Amino acid sequence: MNRPLLILLGALALGAAIFTGSYFVSQRTCEMCLTVHQDDLSWLRTEFHLSDAEMAHIRELHEGYLLQCADMCAKIAVKKGEVESALGNGTNITAEAQTKLNELAALRAQCQAQMLRHFVTVSQAMPPEQGQRYLAEMKKLTLGLHEQIEQSMSGETGHEHHH
Amino acid sequence: MKENMNSNDAKLSALLRGSRLSPSLPPRFQENVWRRIEDAEAPVKSESWLEALVILILRPRFAFATAVLLLFAGALLGAHEGSQAVRHDAQARYVASIAPDSLR
Repeated sequence: MNRPLLILLGALALGAAIFTGSYFVSQRTCEMCLTVHQDDLSWLRTEFHLSDAEMAHIRELHEGYLLQCADMCAKIAVKKGEVESALGNGTNITAEAQTKLNELAALRAQCQAQMLRHFVTVSQAMPPEQGQRYLAEMKKLTLGLHEQIEQSMSGETGHEHHH
Repeated sequence: MKENMNSNDAKLSALLRGSRLSPSLPPRFQENVWRRIEDAEAPVKSESWLEALVILILRPRFAFATAVLLLFAGALLGAHEGSQAVRHDAQARYVASIAPDSLR
C-alpha cells in the first residue's frame, strides 16, 4: 500500500475516533446531568413549560389520582384471582367464569375511564394550548398502543375488524 | 624595466597554462548536460488527487480546524441524543406512574 493512502486512512481513523469519542462523552455527560433530581413529574414541567404554581397544583392532582389508581389496581388484582379460580383446571369456560371475566373487563374499563378523567383534569390545570397538547399526547401514549397491536394483528392474520 | 617585467609575466602565464592538466570529460558529457537542462526547464509533473489531498490534510492549520470541527460536531450530536434519551425516559417514567401496565 502506498504512503499517501496510508496517511489518508490514518487521518480518517483519527477523525472518526475524535468524533465518536466526543459524541459518547457528550451524550453520557448530558444524560448524567439531566437525570439528576428528576421525579415522576419532571417530564411534565419541561415538556409543557409549567410554572411552579401549575406544577404544585398538578402534583396535588397526581397524588390524589395515585390513591384512586392503587385502589382500582387492588380491585383488579382481586378480580383476576377470582377469574383464575373460576377457570380452575377445567377445559370449558363456565357461566361463573364468564361472569367474572365480564366483571374484570368492567373494572379495567372503569380504571381506564378514571385515568382519562385524570388526564382531562391535569390538562385543565395547564395553559390551554399546553393542556390540549398534553391530552393528545397522553391519549396517544395510553390508548395508541392498543390500536397498534390491533392493527398489527389484523395485518398479520389478514382479518379486519369492522367497528 | 617595466617592459621587461611584463614580458616575463606573459611568458610565465603561458608556461602555467601549458603546465595545467585539463581532465578528460566523461563519456556523453555534453548530451547529459543538455538532458539535465531540458529536465530543469520542463514543467513540474502534476501530482495525483490522493497526494494533493494528503498534502492538504497534513497542513497543520487544516488538520487542527478539522479536528476542532469534528470534536464540536460530535459533542453537539451527543448532547442532542443525550437530551432526547433523557426526555424519553422521563416521559416513560411519568406514563408508568399513572397508567397501570394492564391498561397500556
